[in-house]
Amino acid sequence: MSDHFSGPRALTDPAADISDVFAFPAPDDAQQLVVVMDVFGKSGPSAVFSDAVIYRFRIKPVEIAATGPEASFAPSESEIVFDCVFDVPRDTGGAVRPVQHGRCLLPNGRTVSFRADDENGGVDDGVQVFAGQRSEPFFLDVRMIEKTAVTGKLSFKPKGSDTLYGTNILAIVIKFDWRKMLKGGPLFAVVCETLSAGKRPVRIERVGRPEIKNVSMSFKMFDQVNRDLEIRDLYNSEDAFDLKPDYFDTYRVRLNANLAFYDGLDGKVDWAFDGHGNHPLTKLLLADFLVVDASMPFAETSYFDIERSMREGRPHATPGGRWLNEDIMDFVFTLYVNGGNGPPVNDGVDAPIAWSSKAFPYLAPPNPPKGGAT
Amino acid sequence: MTNLSETVALEPEVGSLTLTDGSIALLNLQAQIDGLEGHDTFEQAATLIDLLILRGQILGRISDYEQAAQLANHQFGASATDAAPYIARARTRAVFHRFAEALDDLDRADRMAPHDAVAKRERAAILQAQGRFDEAISTYSAVMDSVGQFERAAALAGLWAERGEVDRAQRFYLDGLRCYRGISPFPVALLEFQLGVMWMRDARLGEARTCFEAAIRRVPAYAPAQGHLAEVEADLGNPESALARLYPLAVSSDDPDYAAQLARILGEMGWNDESSVWRRWAADRYDELTATHREAFADHAAEFWLGPGNDPKKGLRFATLNLEARKTPRARGLLAQALDVNMVGATPARCSGAALPN
Repeated sequence: MSDHFSGPRALTDPAADISDVFAFPAPDDAQQLVVVMDVFGKSGPSAVFSDAVIYRFRIKPVEIAATGPEASFAPSESEIVFDCVFDVPRDTGGAVRPVQHGRCLLPNGRTVSFRADDENGGVDDGVQVFAGQRSEPFFLDVRMIEKTAVTGKLSFKPKGSDTLYGTNILAIVIKFDWRKMLKGGPLFAVVCETLSAGKRPVRIERVGRPEIKNVSMSFKMFDQVNRDLEIRDLYNSEDAFDLKPDYFDTYRVRLNANLAFYDGLDGKVDWAFDGHGNHPLTKLLLADFLVVDASMPFAETSYFDIERSMREGRPHATPGGRWLNEDIMDFVFTLYVNGGNGPPVNDGVDAPIAWSSKAFPYLAPPNPPKGGAT
Repeated sequence: MTNLSETVALEPEVGSLTLTDGSIALLNLQAQIDGLEGHDTFEQAATLIDLLILRGQILGRISDYEQAAQLANHQFGASATDAAPYIARARTRAVFHRFAEALDDLDRADRMAPHDAVAKRERAAILQAQGRFDEAISTYSAVMDSVGQFERAAALAGLWAERGEVDRAQRFYLDGLRCYRGISPFPVALLEFQLGVMWMRDARLGEARTCFEAAIRRVPAYAPAQGHLAEVEADLGNPESALARLYPLAVSSDDPDYAAQLARILGEMGWNDESSVWRRWAADRYDELTATHREAFADHAAEFWLGPGNDPKKGLRFATLNLEARKTPRARGLLAQALDVNMVGATPARCSGAALPN
C-alpha cells in the first residue's frame, strides 16, 4: 500500500485508488512476466472493482540513456496496454461478497474474461489474468514515518507496528509470455493507471515506483517554494512517460526538499546536490515507472537495482522491477538516508501478515474480517 | 476573498458523467467502513466518522449517525489538544442539530488552528443550517479558494437552495455537474437530492420529481430520495407508486419519516386501519427520537404531529423548538403552519385518524 490515499481525489472512490504496482519475472516460469496492480487498501469483505474505471497497465520498452551521476532511461515511443474493466455484480445472493465478472483487453485485441476471486483467473492466448481480494502485501509503520518527519529524527522502533497488518486489497494480476506479447526489450517500463471510463477517459491516478507520492512527496513543510500545495492530484494527472514542463519544477523542488530532509536524518550528507541544485535521485525518481529486465531470472530483492547499477556504471545483476515480498520501506529509507554508505535503516516491520507465494496469483488469500460494530 | 454572489455559472454539460454504479458504490462504502473497524489512529477514526455520516445520509440510518457521534466523543480521551477531534465532534453534533455545541467545538478548534479551512467550512455549513445566511456566505468566502470547483458549486447550490433562491441554486447545481471530476455517485446524488428538496418546498413538484429520480438513478438505495420521491408522487396523484416505494423503507429504516408518510398517504386514500398501524409506529419512534435527539428531529416531529400524528399542540411545541435551533425561512413557515392549525376551528393539514394517546 505504498501509494494508498495518495491525493484527495483518489479518496472519492476507493476502488480507483491504486496502492501498489509490482512487475517481476514469474518465479514459476522464466518465460513469463507478471504485472500486478493493487487498489482499495484496507478494503472490507464487500469491496468490488468499479464499473466506471479502466484499470490500465502501460508497458514501454526502455533503453538506458545514460549511466553515472546523470543516469537516465529513454522510454520508447511504442507502448502496449492491458485494460481491465468490470461489470456490475447483478445478484449478491445474500453473500457479503458478490460475484463480479471482468475482462482484460490484451494488446493484440483479444479479450480474457474472468470471474473475480477465482484463483485460476481467466486464460486466453497464453495470458492469465486474476482479479480479486487478497491480503495486503505491503508492510510499514506509518506512525513512525510521520514521527520521523515531525521530529527530524529517525523514529523507528526495533519492533515496529505494521499499520497494514491483517488488511486486504483488491488486486489484478496479469501473467504473460513477454516475448510473444511485447515488442523490443528486454528492459520494460511499467506504469499502472486508473481512468474514468467513458468516451474520453480521464486519468484518476497513476503509479510506478513505490512511495513516490506519499513518503517522497507528501510532506510539504520542507518545501520552501510551495509549502501549502497538495501536489499529489496534480502529479497523478500527469502522463508518467511525458511530464509536462509546466509543473515539472514544482515536483522537482518538492522532491529535492524532501530527499534532502531524509538525507540529513543521520547527521551527514550522502547525497550532495549537483551543479543544477538537484538531489542526485530526483531525476531518476521522477521517471516514475518500474523498470524490469524481463530476460533475467526472478529475484527476491531487486527493486531499484537497475537504477543503482546505472549510477555505478555496472551491469545490473537482478531483474529490477519489484517483487511482492520486498521490504520496500527499509530499502527506501536506507537509500534516502545514507545511500548505502551506512548501516541499513530498519523500520521495525519486516514482514506482512502473510507472505506472497511463488505460484499464481502470488498474493496471499484475503485475511478474515477483523469484526466490528457494522 | 471570492465574491460568491457574483460567481458566474457556465453552460453545463451534464450528460457525460461517468460514475460508479450506485450498488457498487454502496458495497464499497460498506467495505471502507468495515476496513476501518478496529482503527488505531485518529485520522482513521475521523475518516470512519465521515463514512458513517455518509452512509447515514444515503441509507437514512439514524444508527449510523449515532455511531459516528459515539466515535467522535470517544476520540477525546487521547487527543483533545488537537483541533481535529473538535472538528469531528462538531460535525456529528451538527448532524443532530446541536448547533450551539458544534459551534463551541469549532471555536476551540479555531483557537488551536486558526487557519483550518475544514473547520471554517464546517462553521459555514452550521451557520447556513441555522439560517444565518450572511454569516455563512462570509465564512464560505474566506475558504472557497481552498476547495475544489465541485465542492464550491455544491456548497453554494445548497446555500441558495436553503435560502429559497431557486434560480441561483439551480445555476450552481448545473455548474457543479459540469465541473465534477470524480467517479463516486454520492456527491452528485446528494446534490440532486438537495435540489429536489428545494423544488419540493417551492411547490414545483415536476422539477422535484426529476431531481429525486436523477438521484435514485445514481444510487438506487438512496432512502431519503426514495422517500421524498414518494411524497411527490403522492402529491402528483400517484399514491400507488408512492406506497410501493415507502413500504420497504418503512419496514427497514430506523427513521420514522417513511412510516409517517405511509400513514399520511394511506389515510388520504381512506385506508384508515393500515394508516393507524404506521401512524402508531411513527409516533412511538418520534417520541423515542425526540427524547434522545430533541433538536435533530424537532422539524420532522412537528410535521408529523401537525399531519398524520394529529396532535397539533405537540406539533406546535416542536415547531417552536425547531425555530429556536434555526431561524430559516422553512422553520418560520413550519411555526406559522403550527399556529394556524392550533387556531380554534382550523383543520389540521393532512391529518388522519383520531388523536393518539400521549
